[in-house]
Amino acid sequence: MSIPRVLNRRNRILLGELTKTDFKLRYQGSVLGYLWALLRPLMMFAILYVVFSKLLRFGNDIPHYSVYLLTGTTLWSFFTECTSQGIQTMLMRGDLIRKVSFPKYILVVSSTMTAVINLSINLVVVVIFALINGVTPSLNWLLVPLFILELYILALGIAFLLGAINVKYRDIMSIWDVCIQALFYAVPIIYPVTMIANTSAFAAKLILLNPIAQVIQDVRYNLITTEAITIWNYLKNPVAIAVPFIITFVTLIIGSIYFRRASKFFAEEV
Amino acid sequence: MAKRKIGVRKEVVLDNGIAIEVKNLSKSFRLPTERSWGLKQAIFNRLRGVKGYKDQRVLRNLSFKVNKGEFLGIVGRNGSGKSTLLKILSGIYYPESGEVTVNGTLVPFIELGVGFNPELTGRENVYLNGALLGFSKKEMDAMYEDIWKFAELEEFQDQKLKNYSSGMQVRLAFSIAIRAKGDILILDEVLAVGDAAFQQKCNDYFASLRGNQTVILVTHSMSNVRKFCDRAILIEGGKIVVEGEPEKVADEYMKLFQ
Repeated sequence: MSIPRVLNRRNRILLGELTKTDFKLRYQGSVLGYLWALLRPLMMFAILYVVFSKLLRFGNDIPHYSVYLLTGTTLWSFFTECTSQGIQTMLMRGDLIRKVSFPKYILVVSSTMTAVINLSINLVVVVIFALINGVTPSLNWLLVPLFILELYILALGIAFLLGAINVKYRDIMSIWDVCIQALFYAVPIIYPVTMIANTSAFAAKLILLNPIAQVIQDVRYNLITTEAITIWNYLKNPVAIAVPFIITFVTLIIGSIYFRRASKFFAEEV
Repeated sequence: MAKRKIGVRKEVVLDNGIAIEVKNLSKSFRLPTERSWGLKQAIFNRLRGVKGYKDQRVLRNLSFKVNKGEFLGIVGRNGSGKSTLLKILSGIYYPESGEVTVNGTLVPFIELGVGFNPELTGRENVYLNGALLGFSKKEMDAMYEDIWKFAELEEFQDQKLKNYSSGMQVRLAFSIAIRAKGDILILDEVLAVGDAAFQQKCNDYFASLRGNQTVILVTHSMSNVRKFCDRAILIEGGKIVVEGEPEKVADEYMKLFQ
């Protein structure tokens, strides 16, 4: 599918309208309902901060650890929201698929749009929080959107692939929920990478090959402190550095190709 | 699991006088034979060498053409494959083999509700439906009053759709379909809905369409076939058995039930 066709007029109109109705349906016009969704990463941060930083004394050697943690939970919430909404959307919009012909990938993209809006608002909170915490603004901040884009591409690829399989095998969503639980601990959100690096440099390197971990560390590096361990300053092998980016793009390519073929049968199977 | 075959569906813009061309169209559905749909079942089936589904042939080698401006009727008994054919023409299902060429924009009105959402208001549903058909907010603004006027439901615009009766929903959906001004209009059984007054209104509207608009109408009413159609097709067991004059096709249809 070529780019001009993907972004043609009809598809843009449809994307806008579906995003709007998605938003309306999910929060039913309740301001408080939306506020809760927005507050989720902040709440998660508050709990994790009390448990891990105050009680278990994680990250005491890291400057601005609280900003560190908030950045992690914000990006993590974005990733989980994008993937789980994207995977479920075909079943939730089954009535549309059965009755009207339209490009199905728009459903997936529109379902992730709420997560994108939430992330943008939450990032403002992160920036304010960082400034209060005494983080000095720098030109590096401009690189942050690039890494977020990378995370979005990964999430979209996963949503395409698993969303398409989920139409046929409805247990994919439950399996993905378990994966999310496991992934949460495989990604340095609550624990700093330095903690792993101190015991095993190999394990720390392995963790950084995961694109989610790589993105979170890169955002922390550019936003908060250049002391953060990233794939660029910790791994020396250029092939290894390329791994998370390859995973991200290969996921999107496989996801889109599979989705494109499978979507021709959604109307029969959903 | 065996890969499924996919035929060709093309959308073109040509000036050759043909609105829709169907060549050797076949379609079968894959019906699961097991109750469960899970991944576990799929893996078990594969290990045991069982298919886990059976193929149901619905359309067999159909070929026909619809000319521009023609009013074509499609008739046949329940389960003969009419609705599947309409869904393939509309691009909801994919052909399994053969080729479907659609020349121009197509507005389908196939099932009750055409993707209405019960939790949205009438107004919101109209705009969503318009977007699904490819119309921008501006274009919908221009049609908006007209749609509600034809449906005669102006006072319910801001009610949630779940508070509409099914007759009201169909009226609204039908009004959108006919106001949307596509090149080809595809209709399934709409004349059977609504009260007598609304049916009369639809009949008048169809009469006015004849000769100006390409319409494909699926119906069980032979009087409508005789009244509106330029040509008709009788489908039985997924095959075209009679094609031609509405009179002849309507007579053949009645014979099926004797």
